[in-house]
Amino acid sequence: MRFYLRRVAFYIVTFWAAISLNFLLPRMMPGDPAAIMIGKLRRASGGRQLSDETIKGIYALLGADKSTSLWDQYLAYWVRLLHGDLGISSTRYPYPVATLIGNALPWTLFMVGLATVISFALGIGIGAWVGWRRGTWVDQLVPATSLLQSIPYFWLALVLVAIFSVQLHWLPIVGAYDPFTYPSGPQASWAFAADTIVHAFLPAVTIVVSSVGGWLLGMRNMMVSTMSEDYVLTAEAKGLTPRRIRDRYAARNAAIPSLAGFSIALAFVVAGSIVTEQVFSYPGIGKLMIQSVQGLDYALMQGVFLVITLTVLAANFLMDLFYGLIDPRVRTNG
Amino acid sequence: MKRRAIATIATGVIALATALTACSAPITDSPQASASGSQSGTSTTPARALRVWAGSTTPISVDFNPFHVDTALYGTYGPIYEPLFFFNQLSADAAKPLLGDSYEFSSDGKTITIKLKPNLKWSDGQPLTADDVIFTFGYGPNKTDQLLSATAPDATTIVLKYSKPQFTSAPQLLGATMIVPKHVWSKISDYQAQTNAKPVGSGPYTVKTTSDASYTFTFNTNFRDPAPAVTEVQWIGLDSNQSGQDMLSTGQIDWTGMFIANPDSVTGTGAISTMNQQQDPTVVVTCANAAKGCKGAQTDPAVRQALNLAIDRPALAEKAWAGLVGQANPAFVLLPRDQQWLTDQSLAASPQAANIAQAEQILQAAGYTKDAKGFYGKDGKQIDLDLFSPDGWTDYNDAAKLIAEEAGKAGIKVTARTVSEAEYWTPVTNGDFQLAMYGLTQSIVADPYSNYEQYFSGKSTANVGDAPGHGQNYSRYANPDVDAAIQAAAATNDPAIKKTEYAKIQAQIATDLPYIPVVLNASQAFYNTKDFTGWPTDANLYADPLPYISVAPELILLNLKPAG
Repeated sequence: MRFYLRRVAFYIVTFWAAISLNFLLPRMMPGDPAAIMIGKLRRASGGRQLSDETIKGIYALLGADKSTSLWDQYLAYWVRLLHGDLGISSTRYPYPVATLIGNALPWTLFMVGLATVISFALGIGIGAWVGWRRGTWVDQLVPATSLLQSIPYFWLALVLVAIFSVQLHWLPIVGAYDPFTYPSGPQASWAFAADTIVHAFLPAVTIVVSSVGGWLLGMRNMMVSTMSEDYVLTAEAKGLTPRRIRDRYAARNAAIPSLAGFSIALAFVVAGSIVTEQVFSYPGIGKLMIQSVQGLDYALMQGVFLVITLTVLAANFLMDLFYGLIDPRVRTNG
Repeated sequence: MKRRAIATIATGVIALATALTACSAPITDSPQASASGSQSGTSTTPARALRVWAGSTTPISVDFNPFHVDTALYGTYGPIYEPLFFFNQLSADAAKPLLGDSYEFSSDGKTITIKLKPNLKWSDGQPLTADDVIFTFGYGPNKTDQLLSATAPDATTIVLKYSKPQFTSAPQLLGATMIVPKHVWSKISDYQAQTNAKPVGSGPYTVKTTSDASYTFTFNTNFRDPAPAVTEVQWIGLDSNQSGQDMLSTGQIDWTGMFIANPDSVTGTGAISTMNQQQDPTVVVTCANAAKGCKGAQTDPAVRQALNLAIDRPALAEKAWAGLVGQANPAFVLLPRDQQWLTDQSLAASPQAANIAQAEQILQAAGYTKDAKGFYGKDGKQIDLDLFSPDGWTDYNDAAKLIAEEAGKAGIKVTARTVSEAEYWTPVTNGDFQLAMYGLTQSIVADPYSNYEQYFSGKSTANVGDAPGHGQNYSRYANPDVDAAIQAAAATNDPAIKKTEYAKIQAQIATDLPYIPVVLNASQAFYNTKDFTGWPTDANLYADPLPYISVAPELILLNLKPAG
């Protein structure tokens, strides 16, 4: 019980620190968002004089930070947060941050989430097999997948698009669905669901290809070290079938460290994949993040970081509890 | 139990894998099928939608508020909301009537009388009258202290009286003020907070449907003229130029405006044509005025002149812009459009090949001497200039690097660096910089007045530390002769007087060089001439074929016809 209480207390402190950091970070960034917006407006309006009313409005919207103290802003930030109000985006004014995140999150969860699960499952499965048959030709898979991982992601994605979408016309170039077939947006139909899978395929494949190597390497090495454990030797001595030893004794124990990594990876799914979403014009969270940083959209930045922080914390917490369950050593030592 | 869990995951993965492969089989041809389907569809259905990428990024946030100059979706200005007249920035022709029929200035320039076309209607069927125009000029950001009165002697006549001559404001008042319906906007107190998802406008199109990936316009049944031949226009969102290029070359979009270094790669099939109109000057903006608080060697005109001569512009154009840019000129006129306003023909282009000897001569004459490292300095202080550009604007980044190299050859030490976009705007607007790569916006009419007034007038600037309240004179340049000439030009409608005043301005700014002209930006448009006809040509430049500029797309869309 004390183990769980300690964990809970730890997470409360971490939670507070994360939220406070989330408040401070954008304010420590260089640049004045109001100057950026006015600069853009001036250029956008082609030399047209901005009225005082417009300029005042922008300062009221973005520059209020100047008149109130940091502490007051911090308090107001907590009050708003506890009311579930994430503020209004300035780059996509007047849309509320919560709406923007709410629209982007499902796409990211679907595409990046699926890719992460597939990558993990493939990596663990193949890793266990490679580790079991260590020293044979299958070991070549380790450098091969690492090589794939070391290819710059951006380049890999562009090459795949150039081959499969532009040259062969097999897969769509961009988007989460076909805007020409569905000009009014998502529909609740099987055809639409199939369309989203088609569109998620190539981005997901690029993520899997570039990340499976890490899982594979980790699992293979754990597998090798687990197989030198005494209990594996004992199992062999008992005359169990090699398959049983591999699946029930070695692989299960070797997968434990990877599971921890997997929980973090799952949590980071909500952060989206900035480059993937950019290359494929996929409407996910990563894009909101980069747009908010570029446009100094504090509210949107904080909202995105908050969602990521909370998910990572929650995933860690669950994994802590889960770990205590599957590995009693953690409970007594921790 | 655990075994079952693993087994479930395993079967799940297999199921997923099969699902994906199973789906990938029929998918294989689907984009092709849909593309060819829509192409063959052109012959059966009256007209397929014209597909445009004007530069929107995903997810698209629906916003047709004409007062959101920065965030309103492309197509809001022109296809939906219209100004009174259209000023073609590519020609010196008279303004083309849209809602307005004619306009007339009083001899002192303080009164404008505008005639509207008869029987105009809003897209919701309500009549569009002089009342709406008067409302627009007194609403929200259009309000100005200079407007003394706005009256409507009858339903199609508007008389605007100003406290100052408005000759030079015509393009802005008549060509850039979007007329909005009084019966809609008079009920709205906070116009900035509106997204205006169902706009009521006067243009040829209305919004049909929107999503986070695209938005579609359909023709406005209440439009004053016959319905456009292209009845539907779909505007899509994309996040990278590469995607735009891919969509264009696979025939999925029909019209876009973006930079493609090797345009042959998309025009090669014969379906896509391109046009490159070079208009907006790319410059090195200098913080030029020590009296306003600028610091650094660039406040000395001699240093700016030497830098101007040290730049090898053809090399720059080739290396940083793939040779697609035009020649900039120190008079800041757009040639040949503004030919009538250029007096001294030696100012028709900035020096092209680098002239190191002359640059060094200028520095020496101004009392600079070379130090041991080969860099010029004065009073024991080396010239050491900082030139920055926003990271990721690769043409600017490359150009800055090359300029720094070339300046070094002339003995001027320039360090090029890149900053995040966030760190770019604040110093540029507040004057806390020495040199920056920057783009000026070309005057939208055949008259360089707004260039001078916006970028060179002492009234358009502020002390270092403050942002200019009016205009965009970020160089902090202030010259009483220039200011007097700008004022004199604004007060007259006589071309001869204007030309003399402009000559004075041109002579001054070409010597002082607060903005060192580099090139004229390429602005490439790409459009499908196989499925649609009626695009502008070099012989008939009735509007600039860039989908992202305001108003001109309306003229283009009205002129297009589905081929065949």
